[in-house]
Amino acid sequence: MRLVVCLKVVPRPEEVRVDRATKTLDRAGVRSVINPADLTALEAALRLRELHGGRVTALSMGPPSFVPYLRVAIAVGADAAVLLSDRAFGGADTLATSYTLAAGVRSMGGADLVLCGDESSDGGTSQVPQGVAEWLGYSQATYVDRLEHPSAGTVRARRVLEDGTETLELPLPAVVSVLGGTTEVRFVDYDRWAMAQAADVEVIDATSLGADPGSIGLRGSPTVVAGLREVHKPGRRRELVTLEPAAAAVRVEEALRRLGVPRSEERSPSPSEPSSA
Amino acid sequence: MSTPESSPLVWEDELWEDLVRSTDAARCFQCGTCTATCPLAERGTLNVRQLVRRGAFREGPADLGAGTPGLWSCTMCAQCNVGCPRGVDIVGVVRYLRARGWRKNDVPVGLRPLLWAEFQDGNPYRLPPSQRSAWTRGLSGAATGSTTEAASTVLYVGCTASYDPRAQRTARAVARLLAAAGVPFRLLGEQEVCCGETPRALGVDGLFRDLSARSAELLRSIGATRVVTVSPHCFDALRAGLSKEVEVVHYSELLDELVSKGTLKVKPADPGLLTYHDPCYLGRHHGIYEPPRRLLESAGAKLVEMPRSRRWALCCGGGGGNMWREAPGEERLADLRVEEARETGATLLATACPFCVTCLSASEAAGPGRLAIMDVAEVVARAAGVPT
Amino acid sequence: MSGRGGVWVYAERRGDAFRPVSLEILGRAREVAEGLGEPLVALTAGQDEGVGDELAQYGADQVVVIAHPLLSRYDTRVFTGLLERELRAHSPSVLLLGATRDGQDLAGRLAVRLRTGLTAHVTSLEVASDHRLVGWVPGFGGGIEAGITCPDRQPSIVTVRPGVFPMPTPGPGGGAVRVVRPSLDEAEFGSRRIAFEPNGDAVDLTRSDVLVVGGRGTGGDFARLQRLALLIGGEVGATRVAADAGWVEHERMIGQTGVVTRPKVVIVLGASGAVQFTVGIDKAGYVIAVNRDPEAPIFEAADLGIVGDLAPIVDQLVKDLGAV
Repeated sequence: MRLVVCLKVVPRPEEVRVDRATKTLDRAGVRSVINPADLTALEAALRLRELHGGRVTALSMGPPSFVPYLRVAIAVGADAAVLLSDRAFGGADTLATSYTLAAGVRSMGGADLVLCGDESSDGGTSQVPQGVAEWLGYSQATYVDRLEHPSAGTVRARRVLEDGTETLELPLPAVVSVLGGTTEVRFVDYDRWAMAQAADVEVIDATSLGADPGSIGLRGSPTVVAGLREVHKPGRRRELVTLEPAAAAVRVEEALRRLGVPRSEERSPSPSEPSSA
Repeated sequence: MSTPESSPLVWEDELWEDLVRSTDAARCFQCGTCTATCPLAERGTLNVRQLVRRGAFREGPADLGAGTPGLWSCTMCAQCNVGCPRGVDIVGVVRYLRARGWRKNDVPVGLRPLLWAEFQDGNPYRLPPSQRSAWTRGLSGAATGSTTEAASTVLYVGCTASYDPRAQRTARAVARLLAAAGVPFRLLGEQEVCCGETPRALGVDGLFRDLSARSAELLRSIGATRVVTVSPHCFDALRAGLSKEVEVVHYSELLDELVSKGTLKVKPADPGLLTYHDPCYLGRHHGIYEPPRRLLESAGAKLVEMPRSRRWALCCGGGGGNMWREAPGEERLADLRVEEARETGATLLATACPFCVTCLSASEAAGPGRLAIMDVAEVVARAAGVPT
Repeated sequence: MSGRGGVWVYAERRGDAFRPVSLEILGRAREVAEGLGEPLVALTAGQDEGVGDELAQYGADQVVVIAHPLLSRYDTRVFTGLLERELRAHSPSVLLLGATRDGQDLAGRLAVRLRTGLTAHVTSLEVASDHRLVGWVPGFGGGIEAGITCPDRQPSIVTVRPGVFPMPTPGPGGGAVRVVRPSLDEAEFGSRRIAFEPNGDAVDLTRSDVLVVGGRGTGGDFARLQRLALLIGGEVGATRVAADAGWVEHERMIGQTGVVTRPKVVIVLGASGAVQFTVGIDKAGYVIAVNRDPEAPIFEAADLGIVGDLAPIVDQLVKDLGAV
């Protein structure tokens, strides 16, 4: 199988600050990691390769500083890695990003299966996999926690929905977004570490990619950031009181009311999504 | 006679040679002393003698993966090492066998995310380095590691003492005691990186070496020549991972020296009847039995020993990567240890390791009666009139 | 940019009902449409033709119902095609969808199909002074919000998470309903559904907004905690000590070696707060802790800490909340 895994490098959530003066993100000294859900996608790809043979290529769009992270992907088990890197790709929203990644897949001669994490921890739009599928004209399955390849031209994907799981059979080629955290990701194989450090990570710029300049980067992004605001997340309030049971209960009730905690009969029928906090 | 195909165990020369090359398992003559003295073997889950031999067998029923009984629940307490008549480093053999599991990606659930946390966050708790100095809240003056002299001593706090509120008290006690004794030291703050004891214990040597290299580089860049650790695990890992240029000591050794020289003034208080639990990584692994006891006595403690102490101390169960796993009830060594402690009649159980404090406290909490559990540093801090 | 094409809301069907998030969005969209000076149109696709009036009751000026027996289940290819057709024909300025799993599956594909902008997971919608719609989205673990607009393409597609907007109360309705009956057959579907398994009753603390967690201090009386949990729509969790003691099932154990939760609020009773436990509640919106020991580390990890005995406090809460 020709398997491509789209990886994104994201900053650690607690470390990003907003520069109040310029209203832009201050990324100085920020630690970055491979988006956790993308690692789960990589694990899924490696398992398929174990069962069905083939090649796993890690694909990413970003600055040259992403290369070490792609090497980590190789150390974990990917056969190769490609970085799409060009200033012209910068400032891309999901339309332009998915366009560029799709072009990257095409530059490899296409794939049988493109796997992505369902969401990235720094923006979490969950839209890039669907976009890549549409640009490529591939079938798609999102929020998948189980993947099988029962026959040559198909894949079976189990999607996790709010009220249950549905298993779909789709024709290849396909794009699948893998639900993060649903399976443990194998750790770096240190026997591969040296090879991964020396591996030739292919870096492709906009011209080599043959990308349409109007579809990439800022130019290719219909959505625009009009402004940024910091949402105050102070540490825990750490308010400490000593109260008699009756008064303590009142305090708790006040807090619950403020938080809009419903009684059991007021609960809305659909399960709520996890908070973005 | 059974054919190779139908035999459940197939000796594999290549595997045996690799085992022999990487460990001293060839010296083992299968006497079984290790199994006889292993605290987990008593509970029926670990057959050390078998493990040492299994390294030679090919995959199959003898596969050394996640399901191998005992391979991953071994706490690396080194009781087996102590009893072995051939001096085999059995703990080293366990580490080697675990490494084999990683190569096949066949390890118990819960360990992979742990290593990713170490790899990405530099600590097993998935907490940000920016919070690594939170334990210093309330410290002032020299205890914060700020010193006008170029201090060549670093107080290496370690992940647990940095992030765990209970263990943070020990870190504060050590910092204050060093300050009270006028010993200048520095802290690494947010730059402190995990000592790598857990990756090492789990058999992922590559990550351990990577973390050690980062620590070595950092210490070199600030001209540190001595590292004082809060945890015996950090003590053991840094000793193994750093070059000989840096002296690594456990805080109990340093404080013992300071008290006996009179540099650190300790007034015997009365902590009552006290028993001391030898942490495996301080005691059996490194032979440090007396300094913590001397410190406790200098603080006025009436020490009573548990039946299993010093070389024969019963492990609390926290080593060998087991802090991050759930041991089933019958394997919970800390339960037994707390029972032993209670039976001495002591009102205070002292130890000198954050893992031991955690494991013993958890077992104490689940049982009847109140047995106070404290780190030696806290006991000394009280006697030195230093806040904890 | 507002063409006068309208503010469209995609109302997602699930079985016999609309997903609550779709109705929540309709409620807010009514105000947004007024702010933009455009009509509010609700669009739905499913097997039933007669559902339009219900959507009209939530404030839609017009309702479009795409109906066909085969539309009883969502399929990316079919739904993207059907919506594309409607949107190209009517050129709305905005399309809002609930950020459900299927909703996002659809929105992402549709946005690229139409070569337009998509703003996902907004936590608020505002009409700016220049009549532009701004969607605020969280990022970086919730510490920062970005205001997104789509000035040059239409429709601006926006997804909204459930629970962001309040559930509106239905009114008299009366908006015009147009039924679209596409011709469809199985061959047009992009996928074949092999199976669907509804969620069982298994305990999943990660899906709970409200948690009531007990530790050693409960002395094993989890029935008391369960009574409280029931009254506030929560689930019961436990620390390792409590789970080990067999007071609750191990699936309820929260912490480093157990479940990591992110509820809106968690009430921690009788737990000391070791870091191995608190990493399981660190992401909670609000932490209330009750413990007899004022030095207990749990208070460092709490927003509201109450020093006291948990039993009488919980009993009082049950009495107060149960009485109304």
